[in-house]
Amino acid sequence: MKRHLLLPVVGLVVLVVSVLFYFNQSTNKNNPRDEVSSLIFETPDFYNNKLIYENTLGEFYIINFFASWCKPCLAEHPLLMEMKKKGVKIIGINFRDDEENFKKWINDHGNPFEYILRDDGTIAYEMGLIGVPETFFIVNKIIQKKIQGPLFYEDVEKYL
Amino acid sequence: MKMSKSIYKLIIPFLIIHISVISFAGVNELSDYYKTIRCLVCEGQSIQESDTEFAINLKEQIQKKYNSGMPIKEINKELIKIYGEEISFDPPKNHIILWWTPLILLIIIFVFIRNKIRFFK
Repeated sequence: MKRHLLLPVVGLVVLVVSVLFYFNQSTNKNNPRDEVSSLIFETPDFYNNKLIYENTLGEFYIINFFASWCKPCLAEHPLLMEMKKKGVKIIGINFRDDEENFKKWINDHGNPFEYILRDDGTIAYEMGLIGVPETFFIVNKIIQKKIQGPLFYEDVEKYL
Repeated sequence: MKMSKSIYKLIIPFLIIHISVISFAGVNELSDYYKTIRCLVCEGQSIQESDTEFAINLKEQIQKKYNSGMPIKEINKELIKIYGEEISFDPPKNHIILWWTPLILLIIIFVFIRNKIRFFK
């Protein structure tokens, strides 16, 4: 091969590989971070001991991780109560909490949740939780949005 | 009878040592692995060093999986699938372009300079 062709050929190869690599990345749709953990539908509700059927939740619902020891959870609590009043279905997942403290917390502050699951950390791990509170907005069974930290009015105003 | 007793005397300490060595190796393998996992709440620290709820939970979940017989490699794959590559201090080197571009550029520059030098000679 002529020497003056070497550089353009190498450049072209790099370009082609880059393009192939880019398309390979963007077609990789198996991202578990978009899916709701099946454990949520295999764990019975704390109060009525029944499983949650995803089809009964409708097109849109919210999953909220909380704990009685978590102060920011208390800060977002009034917003969750408001959303419940407006008919938004919220699954509450009580993360690594003492049962008595959790029950007291719900009694003292009110229950904004349609269902409550107690989690030893396994569901949190599968959902890729970083800390509490953390809220997942689910549309058509896919995680559309995730908010780490307490919810603010702006985050949920369209549901109020 | 005496013979079998002395065999037991030999075997039991050996078994105890063997079991403790195996479990110690397991603990060691896990704690080494924890050092490669980034604490996402307190970036810069590994989950081995961190005492946050996130790190404690992650260590517990990893240990559960390890004890159920899941190899560290598989645990690592799963962890990266869930949390993304940023969870690992040693992410998989599957970004071919990222890893090879500097070398390719270096070769191109080298060839270019060599050709220029030859031209001026």
